[in-house]
Amino acid sequence: MSKSTEPKGKGVKRRDFLKILGVSGAAVGAAGCSPESAGKLIPYLVSPDQTVPGVSTYYATTCRECAASCGVIAETRDGRTMKLEGNPDHPLNRGAICARGQSALQQLYNPDRLRAPMIKKGGAWQSASWDEALALVSQKLGEAKSRNAAGGAVFLNQHESGSFPAFADQWLAAFGMKPHLSVDFEADQAAMEANRRAYGVSWPRLDFSQARLVVSFGADFLEGWGASVPHQLDYADARTNFENAPRSVYIGPRRTLTGMNCDQWIPCKPGSELIVAQALAGKASVAQAASASGVGADVLGALARELAAAKPSLLLAGARTANALDLALAVADLNKTLGNVGKTVLPAEPLTAFEGIARYSELADAVERMRGGSVPVAFVRGTNPAYYLPASLKFADAFAKVPFKVAFATQPDETVEACDVVLPDLHSLESWGDAMPVKGTLALQQPAMDPVFGGTRGAGDVMLALAQKDPSAAAKFPQNSYREWVMARFPGGPAGFASGLAKGVMPGTLPVPAAPAPLAMTAPPVLESTAGDFYLITYPHALLGDGRGANKPWLQELPDPVAKIVWSSWVEMHPETATKMGIERGDIVEVKTAHGAIRAPAYLYLGVRPDTIAIPLGQGHRAAAPIPAWDPLHQDPVKNVQWGYGRYARGVGVNPLDLVPAAADAAGGFVWTVTKATVAKTGDRETIPSTEGSARQHGRGIAQAITITDLLSGKGNEVKEAPLPGDASHEYLPGLRAPVAADAQGDIGAPTAADSGTHLGMYDPKNPLGMARRRWAMTVDLARCTGCSACVTACYAENNIPTVGAAWQNATVYAVEKTGYNVVRGREMNWIRIERYFEGAPDAKFGEEWEGRVVPMMCQQCGNAPCEPVCPVFATYHSPDGLNVQVYNRCVGTRYCSNNCPYKVRYFNWFGYGEKDRRQYAFPEPLNWQLNPDVTVRGKGVMEKCTFCVQRIREAENRAKLEHRELIPDEFTTACAASCPSRAITFGDAADERWSVNKLIEDRRAYTVFKEINTYPAVVYLKKVNHPSPAAAGNA
Amino acid sequence: MATTAAPFPPAADLRPNVASADVHFPAIKTYEQVDNEVINTMRPTLGWFVLLGLAILCMLVGAATWTYQIYEGLGAAGYHPPVMWGVYIVSFVFWVGIGHAGTLISAILYLFRAGFRTSIYRVSEAMTVFAVMTAGLFPILHLGRPWKFFYLIPYPNWRLIWPNPKSPLVWDVFAILTYLTVSATFLFVGLIPDFAIMRDREKNPIRKQLFATLAMGWRNSDKEWRHFARAYLFLAAFATPLVLSVHSVVSFDFAMANMPGWHETIFPPYFVAGAIYSGLGMVFTIVIPMRKFFKLEHYITLNDLDAAAKMCLFVSMVVGLAYLTEFQMGWLAGTSFEQEYWWNRAFGQWWWAEWIILVCNCLLPLSLFSQKLRRNPSWLFTLSIFINIGMWFERFVIIVPTLSHEFEPWQWSTYAPTWVDYAILLGSFGWFFMWFLLFIKQMPVMAMSEFKELIPARMKHAAGEGGAH
Repeated sequence: MSKSTEPKGKGVKRRDFLKILGVSGAAVGAAGCSPESAGKLIPYLVSPDQTVPGVSTYYATTCRECAASCGVIAETRDGRTMKLEGNPDHPLNRGAICARGQSALQQLYNPDRLRAPMIKKGGAWQSASWDEALALVSQKLGEAKSRNAAGGAVFLNQHESGSFPAFADQWLAAFGMKPHLSVDFEADQAAMEANRRAYGVSWPRLDFSQARLVVSFGADFLEGWGASVPHQLDYADARTNFENAPRSVYIGPRRTLTGMNCDQWIPCKPGSELIVAQALAGKASVAQAASASGVGADVLGALARELAAAKPSLLLAGARTANALDLALAVADLNKTLGNVGKTVLPAEPLTAFEGIARYSELADAVERMRGGSVPVAFVRGTNPAYYLPASLKFADAFAKVPFKVAFATQPDETVEACDVVLPDLHSLESWGDAMPVKGTLALQQPAMDPVFGGTRGAGDVMLALAQKDPSAAAKFPQNSYREWVMARFPGGPAGFASGLAKGVMPGTLPVPAAPAPLAMTAPPVLESTAGDFYLITYPHALLGDGRGANKPWLQELPDPVAKIVWSSWVEMHPETATKMGIERGDIVEVKTAHGAIRAPAYLYLGVRPDTIAIPLGQGHRAAAPIPAWDPLHQDPVKNVQWGYGRYARGVGVNPLDLVPAAADAAGGFVWTVTKATVAKTGDRETIPSTEGSARQHGRGIAQAITITDLLSGKGNEVKEAPLPGDASHEYLPGLRAPVAADAQGDIGAPTAADSGTHLGMYDPKNPLGMARRRWAMTVDLARCTGCSACVTACYAENNIPTVGAAWQNATVYAVEKTGYNVVRGREMNWIRIERYFEGAPDAKFGEEWEGRVVPMMCQQCGNAPCEPVCPVFATYHSPDGLNVQVYNRCVGTRYCSNNCPYKVRYFNWFGYGEKDRRQYAFPEPLNWQLNPDVTVRGKGVMEKCTFCVQRIREAENRAKLEHRELIPDEFTTACAASCPSRAITFGDAADERWSVNKLIEDRRAYTVFKEINTYPAVVYLKKVNHPSPAAAGNA
Repeated sequence: MATTAAPFPPAADLRPNVASADVHFPAIKTYEQVDNEVINTMRPTLGWFVLLGLAILCMLVGAATWTYQIYEGLGAAGYHPPVMWGVYIVSFVFWVGIGHAGTLISAILYLFRAGFRTSIYRVSEAMTVFAVMTAGLFPILHLGRPWKFFYLIPYPNWRLIWPNPKSPLVWDVFAILTYLTVSATFLFVGLIPDFAIMRDREKNPIRKQLFATLAMGWRNSDKEWRHFARAYLFLAAFATPLVLSVHSVVSFDFAMANMPGWHETIFPPYFVAGAIYSGLGMVFTIVIPMRKFFKLEHYITLNDLDAAAKMCLFVSMVVGLAYLTEFQMGWLAGTSFEQEYWWNRAFGQWWWAEWIILVCNCLLPLSLFSQKLRRNPSWLFTLSIFINIGMWFERFVIIVPTLSHEFEPWQWSTYAPTWVDYAILLGSFGWFFMWFLLFIKQMPVMAMSEFKELIPARMKHAAGEGGAH
């Protein structure tokens, strides 16, 4: 084109110059853009579709932390799952999630997770490749098969509802092995067996809303008995339907969290629940029952009369004594005769998640077969019998007789340690699957993220690979992955599966395994005939379960809902008994039975009978010797595995199952209360790590309650409080106060005061100061709150709160290396805490009525906040939308704000919990992957507190702004409110009456804590509602 | 009745309580004697070196501990939330309190023409400056992020972020800095004529030059004396309200908060009385050994100690009254928060600390009603140690029992300091005594020029030449 127009001359032509310039510039640019070492800022090289950096993706999947299989939504940001919320479409949990469920994240990111296959050679663990490991397992399987011994093999799997049990059985069958045992040690076999006999299903739906009286015979329906989240939802709904609310009675030797949530506790002797039930049914005399149970005949008589009058009622049996099946059958019978079936007990809508759980007796039988040497190979997946089987069963000895043991595990534990090959498994949040939580509904399980560790493989995939190495089994398993296998089996195939993924649930059914008949077992000893002074109750910890939770710092740091003890084991004793024996809180006592002895600190609790002691399960994992130069922060994935149960369970507490004989009830379930024990004071003492200050509220009205009769008769309404001196002249919206002029006592604090146009209220849209129109506020309904503490864990997860109780998290020089020591010194960081107060006579004798009240306490976001004026540097100040804002970067750490806070809800970073390479670091790799990128990880020396999840507020506001709209009322909520399994917490804008929080603020039960200090809190509590027994009310 | 009044004692046995020129210092005869005897005390001795070394060692222990605490975080100290203030703030208030006796003695007693101040005011004023220097460390020491302490100072910045004028902690910054400036100025101005004496008698040229600079060309002229007297009077008048205001401001740290046991209108006068009391205690602790080792018994006479002890007795009763008033206010408060707090403080968790202060600060000083004990330096020294301990615990009792037992029963707690707290407290004593020991060998511990004023006119020229001043 331009042949001739170019002038011929020397030198660089203009066009060439530009070319050279362009190329060299690009080269320089390219060179400049390539860093010397490529680091991954986000885990994607090529971002998958729909993923925007910094914007969360949500995956609906299924929780596997207990057998109930609730639905969860995993919030994943930049390829890392950082928060679990309940799935609102799931029929069980309906958007709520418990503390255990949320802690799945800390299993996913547990720093002690197994990261590569290992083979035990000569007693020492050696790292192996997957090929080596699979070849070894395949070879051993082949050997067993060729010897025709494969039939004796044992496969123990942590129970999960859905297809995996069927898959495992098919796989085992392909190798000529017997079906696996699906183990859930916490499952109530007696209740399930009785249900099957009475109703034909393992677990009917329980409808609390229809009942007028709930009587629980040791069934802890709010904390681990059955599916506790739906129970909490239903119970809270029923109890706040005041006109028709059920009264609740708890019968059992120990007042559990469920017992504390019941209106009345009838402390019967262990094992006497049966005769009480029989007396209620008229099959035994009340006097007989009273003398056998140690409860007054008047109490039982009144209950019998009440039961006859209250229709329908709901009776639950969950006591785990030797006569558990008889009790469960008697109670099922009572439910039938009282006409509750079909009204409060709904066999037509059964929970199917518990179908197929193996009985304890089957497990014990398998152990005996191992001991007999007829088990050539054993598989263990996700379950830890070496910990939770009682020591007297001698599982370890029996297991050692198995020549070849394979563990599919995410985590080192006592059982994995005894195996020969470790095949690191995927976590449930990394794997595919399905579940059938209730009849007719399928829940889907999908990975929320890529595996955290590249060296891990799902057990299903590994089993398929093993099958393909075996010529005969290969034909039966043509699939390449467990995912394909699940999808192929799914109703509607892969397309059907995919169609359900968005919601996580869909209608449909999977075949459920039939329950085998209970095995005949040797009868447990008669409780009364065992040697000892006290009945010994062992029970699964409400948070740690059968010990599964002990490796998760969130659960260790979360106070037990009743005892409020963390990072420890304890022996519950009645104060009267303790006084007699000269035992005080914290005295180390030795508990001894015919089977063993343990030492643990005594905790004096009104809620156990004086002739009974209770010890929770869950702690006391084997404290393997710390490996030389063990560094809690850095760990070699193979050499430095912290055996036992990981670093967080190491050296914590004791295991009460060392004390009890191995015995099964008639349903084949494990008998938890089976022996007496002697208790002796040792003379040692320790301060129990507990978050409890005073267990009494000293009449200060923090947790208030009203009786149902007063509430319904409107008695509480008439009492108008006298105006306090210095109180402003007009009534504010609760929690409303001039946000910036916090000390203003005039009309400027009124929300909409228009004083001749010059004094527009602070929240008036026309206010020239441009103050916000919002006042974020919260209500906590104490009639709903059960104290389960799910909100606390939700807060830890959402707000990057460090756990501080591990033994190494104290000071370096001259510090006490004791687990929980930072909590002993009150340094826990729980932005929201559950205060548990006892009401009743301060020195209540056994038999006197007392009440347990719980109150979640978080920053009250005061309108007239005492913390704000005292901060010398404005690190805490009032935002225009009514929040007490804490600016971490501005904070110098005078801690004056905390001193001046009447609610004591401010927490200080005593150490560098957020700093890597410090011993106090709370998020050792990869726990830090869970951290919420929207929230700062606080440095040492700054104050922090509840922010009302300000990051969620801003996110919602920004989203609304982008979409050119106003915030929709109730569009979002805080982390605590989102998780709450009893829907006690409501969050919203108190200045906009469309938000539902406003209606609750106006409730007649509403009050604010320490109103007399004029702090104008934005957190409004609704009084708890008590239902005194009609007999007591009649007497009064 | 057979009783008769005791005969009036002979005049020689009368112990005058009011300083009057001729009977006050019978052993001091001439100007020369004053100069010689006071300047003689400035010769370093072995004992002084040992003490100084000990003080520096203690200071270094404290400094090293602070370094460790900065690295590790405040958790190394014994804080037990919600007890968010502990030994450091206790010690802060303690040292600020110590700093009050100096200005009281040098300024207020000067205005009141109380003669007994002459012998002890220089020491107490130096003590004031060093105590305030020590106190000023603690608010920084106790910060979570001490490297950000300058956020409390209103320095110009582009972000236009200033300290919060509502916060008593900001008032503290101003109050302490003001007090430090004024008391240091007052000390310096009072020293000028003595610097001139030092200059004139010093042989070492470097020191001579140094004293010459500090003496600011003092020539002992009538005009200079007139200006000096006016300036000194003015500064005394200027410093007097500070004695009252500084500790009032410190008390606002507590009184402005709304905690039971803190939110009390009595706090400013109560704190001022306590400050003067603890300062007097520290004056005894320092002056009595110094008087002995420096052989200054004829300067700091028993009459002086007697008069100071009377003041101490009076202030102890003021403090005791404040304690009782506090109890009464707690009792009459009408809220369970206050009442339970007081019960817990006096008879519950912290009874031992409360009774330490009642015994040390109220009961033991009653012994000063006895003139014999007032004139017994050993007893005064012993008592002063008790007062120091009692006053430290007074601040402990104000701070810790409140924080450990306030509105929210669930958060009631306890408090136990760790070795870090103790080491830093030790370091603060090391720091204080380091400066003090350095001071007493560099500058005259008594105002030579003022003493000369007290020498009766008829004696001034007994030695002929006399001193120049």
